[in-house]
Amino acid sequence: MAPDPNKSASGSGTTRDETTVKVPSKDPKKKDEKKDEDLSDEDLALKQQLELYVERVQDSDPGLQKVALESMRQEIRTSTSSMTSVPKPLKFLRPHYGTLKSYYETMADSDLKKLLADILSVLALTMSAEGERESLKYRLLGSEGDIGSWGHEYVRNLAGEIAQEYAKRQSEEASVKDLMELAQQIVAFHMKHNAEPEAVDLLMEVEDLDLLVEHVDSTNYKRTCLYLTSAARYLPGPDDMLVLDIAYMIYLKFEEYPSALQIALFLDNMQYVKQVFTSCDDLLRKKQFCYILARHGITFELDEEMAADDEDREALQEIINNTKLSEGYLTLARDIEVMEPKSPEDIYKAHLLDGRASAGASVDSARQNLAATFVNAFVNAGFGQDKLMTVPSEASSGVSSGNWLFKNKEHGKASAAASLGMILLWDVDSGLAQIDKYFHSNDSHVIAGALLGVGIVNCGIKNDCDPALALLAEYIDRDDSSIRIGAIMGLGIAYAGAQSEQIRRKLTPILGDTKAPLDVIAFTAISLGLVYVGSCNEEVAQAIIFALMDRSESELGEPLSRLLPLGLGLLYLGKQESVEATTEVSKTFNEKIRKYCDMTLLSCAYAGTGNVLKVQHLLGQCEQHLEKDATHQGAAVLGLAMVAMAEDLGLEMELRSMEHLLQYGEQNIRRAVPLALGLLCISNPKVNVMDTLSRLSHDTDTDVAMAAIISLGLIGAGTNNARIAGMLRNLSSYYYKEASLLFCVRIAQGLVHLGKGLLTLAPYHSEHFLLSPTALAGIVTLLHACLDMKAIILGKYHYVLYFLVLAMQPRMLMTVDENLKPLSVPVRVGQAVDVVGQAGRPKTITGFQTHSTPVLLAAGDRAELATEKYIPLSPILEGFVILKENPEYREDH
Amino acid sequence: MPTVSVKWQKELFPAVEIDTSQAPYVFKCQLYDLTGVPPERQKIMVKGGLLKDDADWSTLGVKEGQKLMMMGTADEIVKAPEKGPVFVEDLPEEEQVVTMGHTAGLFNLGNTCYMNSTIQCLHSVPELKSTLIKYPQSGRSNDLDQSSHLLTVATRDLFNELDRNVKPVAPMQFWMVLRKKYPQFGQLHNGSFMQQDAEECWTQLLYTLSQSLRSSSSSENPDTVKALFGIELVSRVHCEESGEESSEAESVYALKCHISHEVNHLHEGLKHGLKSELEKASPSLGRSAIYLKDSRINGLPRYLTIQFVRFFWKRESNQKAKILRKVDYPLELDVYDLCSEDLRKQLEAPRQVCTLPSALMNLSCSLYFIGHLPFLFAWSFQFQHPNYKILRDEEGRKLGLKTSDKSSGSMDTAVKKACCRGIIKWRWRII
Repeated sequence: MAPDPNKSASGSGTTRDETTVKVPSKDPKKKDEKKDEDLSDEDLALKQQLELYVERVQDSDPGLQKVALESMRQEIRTSTSSMTSVPKPLKFLRPHYGTLKSYYETMADSDLKKLLADILSVLALTMSAEGERESLKYRLLGSEGDIGSWGHEYVRNLAGEIAQEYAKRQSEEASVKDLMELAQQIVAFHMKHNAEPEAVDLLMEVEDLDLLVEHVDSTNYKRTCLYLTSAARYLPGPDDMLVLDIAYMIYLKFEEYPSALQIALFLDNMQYVKQVFTSCDDLLRKKQFCYILARHGITFELDEEMAADDEDREALQEIINNTKLSEGYLTLARDIEVMEPKSPEDIYKAHLLDGRASAGASVDSARQNLAATFVNAFVNAGFGQDKLMTVPSEASSGVSSGNWLFKNKEHGKASAAASLGMILLWDVDSGLAQIDKYFHSNDSHVIAGALLGVGIVNCGIKNDCDPALALLAEYIDRDDSSIRIGAIMGLGIAYAGAQSEQIRRKLTPILGDTKAPLDVIAFTAISLGLVYVGSCNEEVAQAIIFALMDRSESELGEPLSRLLPLGLGLLYLGKQESVEATTEVSKTFNEKIRKYCDMTLLSCAYAGTGNVLKVQHLLGQCEQHLEKDATHQGAAVLGLAMVAMAEDLGLEMELRSMEHLLQYGEQNIRRAVPLALGLLCISNPKVNVMDTLSRLSHDTDTDVAMAAIISLGLIGAGTNNARIAGMLRNLSSYYYKEASLLFCVRIAQGLVHLGKGLLTLAPYHSEHFLLSPTALAGIVTLLHACLDMKAIILGKYHYVLYFLVLAMQPRMLMTVDENLKPLSVPVRVGQAVDVVGQAGRPKTITGFQTHSTPVLLAAGDRAELATEKYIPLSPILEGFVILKENPEYREDH
Repeated sequence: MPTVSVKWQKELFPAVEIDTSQAPYVFKCQLYDLTGVPPERQKIMVKGGLLKDDADWSTLGVKEGQKLMMMGTADEIVKAPEKGPVFVEDLPEEEQVVTMGHTAGLFNLGNTCYMNSTIQCLHSVPELKSTLIKYPQSGRSNDLDQSSHLLTVATRDLFNELDRNVKPVAPMQFWMVLRKKYPQFGQLHNGSFMQQDAEECWTQLLYTLSQSLRSSSSSENPDTVKALFGIELVSRVHCEESGEESSEAESVYALKCHISHEVNHLHEGLKHGLKSELEKASPSLGRSAIYLKDSRINGLPRYLTIQFVRFFWKRESNQKAKILRKVDYPLELDVYDLCSEDLRKQLEAPRQVCTLPSALMNLSCSLYFIGHLPFLFAWSFQFQHPNYKILRDEEGRKLGLKTSDKSSGSMDTAVKKACCRGIIKWRWRII
């Protein structure tokens, strides 16, 4: 038979003898003709060969049919290796898909029919119309042979069709058994071929993630879990919990306990935490778990099951109790050589400004001295020495601590005395010793400060003797309300997250006391909220709700009353739906506070979840242009930041919507936006946010300017960021006449140099995976207070700034040996790279530098060991990490 | 008798025996021996609180080997100093002025920034202030018209008011008098007062003051304003064509800084401003010819006023136009090479002798205006022989006062002050 006349005229060159198969003239389209023109000899040969097979498949002789089908399959299989374009055989068979399909229908059931179904299934990969899912249809009709033999692309396509089919059948409530079998095959294939994300995706579509556990092995479990954990952020509840559960199980299966522990902490599932401890029997690893728990800032009691030996348990508990935190921090400070105390003047650097701001004040300004007190406390936090408060009284300079204390006025003295607690942060023994002398003062503000100082020193540290409780409990019922507040706030800070029954019994009666002044009630509510943060404790919730109901309307209009709903909200921090019952109750509140309460509860409950629906709801609240009673909008803006701060994508979107709120929002919204920005980028000075805040710091509305200035401090907290420091310096000269703005500038300057740059306020840790509830609670409390800067921070409640201590953590990597002694090893520190779902073993950091530990980590930094000599016991190198010697290490010469 | 260990600060006292039959006060005395902390200052943490002196050991359940924690120091108790510090915030308003390091600002009464800045500038000249204070309320000499007298009195009163207040002052009275005396400042445009040139206000006000203060008999210095601001110039007038040359002397109140496209710096502008061309009848040629006038400073005032000539008349559009060219100004201005030979000789000696680093210049950034107003940066330069240095307000004030004390003594001839003024920047600010 001669080739098609059209084709021979195409001038493609020679024709071969064996290609003389008569093609059934199925109106070859013009397009095909065109393509034929460019075909090379081999392609033409292949094309004609395939056309011959198609012809023979329709032959009546089963033998011939079989040979044709087998050869066709051979042809397709051998050519699937190409990834870039549609394989040639598939391309050439395209025109015959319809033919084969209709022939298939006429065939009687037989092996041959199945064989043809297989081929049709593959052909459907390129031919099937959208939504027909023919590939899957023929696959199910086919011989169910090895799925991978048809190539990767085929499997992926099939997986996609399964997902669609599954959804359809689910809605029709049809059986999905056959699909599941196929899914299992596909998952097995994917897991074997480094395509874990595809496997996970398919299983999530068919809602059977449990299958995953049997398919992971030691080579792919890490990538699988990495994908699972990062996918969880984008899943709606309760799927995210399920996904994390699976990841936890996989980690546990492969004894990757630290990672399992992190997931347990993310789920806030103490049962899982316990399971990690009981599953592992290596003491050293358990110590590492304790370090992770300590960093997360939760209270956790080990029992005999978790650590059988008494002595071991004590050692472990000591790590959880953070007793060695101060020591580690000071080791870091000595290593970086920043032990020398700094005075506020060293921070202000007024000599860099030309003239104006350096007004040599001959008379003390109480406000400026108060600012200096805070700056001094923030900068020298945790170092145990400074130039104002801890100077020995015999010092010849004459500026003994007592003197500085009395350079502050009235309630300023409370903050000054409390600043001693900040300077001696985490060092309970010397801290209490130094604060002791203030207890004997006859000035109630000084005593209040001393009480608060005790709380601050004990922040995050647990001690068997409970010194904070023993000391403070006596004072909570004093007559003087400043002393009461000092003691109550001190308890809240010292026992944040402890859920201590004792404290609840001491504090709840105050809430019920109708004679107690509003400020005492407000601080009691916050302290209870902190102690029971994220606990959903009903009794505490009841107490605060009653306190709210008892307040008169005028009291609810006071600026401090906002702390009551916040205390209530903190109880549900991150607990999502659990808040609903309380939200119902809050509907009965006085309308003055109702909406504020609503916003606060919502934002606290969904803090750190990235829940898009809640973000939309809060945005909806912000778009209203209300004439009056709009204080709740400030809380809504803060809520936006709290909900969206969970992951980078949501954060970026939030930054954009903040820009919109600035442009279109009412004044009370604009006032909250800088604070929200401060929360979104806390201790993470992003340049665009910095610029926005710098612009707002010159805003005509002083409240906006003040909030922006404080937020500049928050985003630069503990970074020593030179650009922010420069901005603030310029602001200090710009506002040198405006005492309250200057005060804010000073506070921000102190924050930027927090702990001389060794501390961070970021509540997220472990590579931005875990959110420390107490840290977030501390920051949020301050931000809510900042919503009415004039009345609270610039008024007489400036000590709310000390709530930040809850979020203060060294931003370090400290490697310790098996005896928990500091061990200096080389590490590479660089910008973290997102490697989720990436092929191969990509580098996890970029632009790195090699340092020796201990080393500081900036926001977005990741560290890895630069030596093979040791093995870290935690995959995430942050905070304290125990190193074990690598037995396989050989020194090379 | 249980034995416990007691932790005190960083120390640990192991094996302290408790006599449970005795009151805890005895135990505290035991600890007093160990630590030196008097019992009443000891705080010992036991389960559920502090150890009370009269507590019962049996109810506390102290166990053998238990670790107790003690807090307390033998340190001196902090006492408030007998005399507490005085805080700015507590001072009465008048005293805050001194401590805040600035005086009150002026309200903008509607495009009156030119006036406010002029007042601020003049207000920062202490000699003028002291002379004004002596100006009599009623004793108007006959050669002075009523409106000039009223303006001088208004200036005096306003200065007094500025010194007394920290809060911004509204210069209502002064403004009314000023408009009365110089009606051009009362021009209206679209129902509101027009923007005016600060230079004009400065010149007029200075002229009035010089008139009234000269005539005021109480002043020991017959011409205060001239002594403070007058600049002696000698000019050489030269005609290219005829070769004629003559010299003349004059006294002006301001040097002009001409701004042309080659002027980048104040100094260049001043040089430029001291040269001019004029056309006059030449006696030798019998017709008018171009004469070059080249002026030199022959006598420097205490305050040297410099006008940045930023406005020029655009002939083609018949409009006043503003020259926006940036002209750099030094923090120290040396006018030595603008001086005449005579003055140079006089200055030569102190130039070499005087190594005092305290050459001064006072920059008073008029940030004090509060309200809806543009604020104007004006400079007043103080200097010690022709090296000028700008100091910012506070220092300027402090050092300025110091120098004026000195200047009244032996350094008198060497110390001269100058005031330079220029409109540099307008900024709107709403408070």
